[in-house]
Amino acid sequence: MKKIAVRNLRLCTKDCLCLYVCPVGATDTENSIIDVNKCIGCGDCADACPSKAISMVPVTYPPQQQKTEKVCAALFNMVKQKSEERKVALAVAAQTDKAGLKALMYAFAKSEQLIAEDLMREAGFMLPQSANAHKLLRSLADDPPEGFPVKTALELLKLLPCNEPEEN
Amino acid sequence: MKYVCRICGYVYEEDAEGTPFSALPPDWKCPLCGAAKSDFRAEEVKTAEPSPAGAGYAQIGSEEKSTEDRGKKGADGHEGEYKELSYGQLFAVFSNLARGCEKQYRQNESKMFAELADYFDKRTPAADTADTAALSAELIKDAERYTQLRAAADEAADRGAARVCVWGEKVTAMLSSLLKRYIEEGEDMLSGNGIWVCSVCGFVYIGDAPPALCPVCKVPEWKFEKERRATK
Repeated sequence: MKKIAVRNLRLCTKDCLCLYVCPVGATDTENSIIDVNKCIGCGDCADACPSKAISMVPVTYPPQQQKTEKVCAALFNMVKQKSEERKVALAVAAQTDKAGLKALMYAFAKSEQLIAEDLMREAGFMLPQSANAHKLLRSLADDPPEGFPVKTALELLKLLPCNEPEEN
Repeated sequence: MKYVCRICGYVYEEDAEGTPFSALPPDWKCPLCGAAKSDFRAEEVKTAEPSPAGAGYAQIGSEEKSTEDRGKKGADGHEGEYKELSYGQLFAVFSNLARGCEKQYRQNESKMFAELADYFDKRTPAADTADTAALSAELIKDAERYTQLRAAADEAADRGAARVCVWGEKVTAMLSSLLKRYIEEGEDMLSGNGIWVCSVCGFVYIGDAPPALCPVCKVPEWKFEKERRATK
């Protein structure tokens, strides 16, 4: 499986071992982001890094775990519930003139969004490259609701090749 | 006697602490996650059986039906047909995929998914209520909803889905606890305190600084974000 090196800037302590060991100079860049076009995926930089700030990520991800329909249906429903709660929190935040409550409700809305995203991740939408994500993007691009950014959806389909067989 | 925090699992041991749990002041908080005293349960007492009413989860059955009506289905059912998802659900799908791209260091694609998420967020109907009591009631009912969701996850031996239940249930219990407190105590509860949200699981913490570790998902404190929108 071909891999490329990525650097986590939050962890990087600039010991610069990656500069010394990289055979192609991919780690020596003005913005500290490893040059993906140069990286040959040898992993020497990740091995040498004393702060463990470099990890090797696959170019192509393996297919995500399959989910049963029943579990997905139950997760989707919880997402619906969480989305509705988020909207109530946002409505309270918009209406109240109490600063504390306003902040609390914005925090709740953020929390509910994170919960909903996490539920979706487990409901068959873990990978942007998955067949599920592709089908969804395609169905939206084929029959878009009014004003839907079709170009963006089509561009995403191109940028993120599907990593599993798509049924048709 | 031991008392266990239902949110983070912190154990208050009366013998070790020297103070009986009942003698703690009513505004005492869990030292780990900040949950209210009322969120603690005596260890001996097993958690009550879920209420048989299935409060609010009837809709799940009805929705499941619609998934059965779907035409061609893969092994995992639900692909694609976006019309079976509400705009609120589509928002969650795309904001999740935006996060997925971020984790893969794909900033550009992340922004594009965020644009799709935003499209659906803007078109999701506003809530028909702006009532904290109504929100509180829903959060309380979520405990039962999570019990049922967990049962579906366990039945399918889906540990990922079980994990999302563990996190979501705890985070929701904290929201429920905080809102109950706010309804009782009002603005005093928040004065001088920051509101922190764990950017990974959504856990909400009230205090000067975020906890060293998220009590729910265990990420370090720098993963917490301070809520700043209302301070403008």
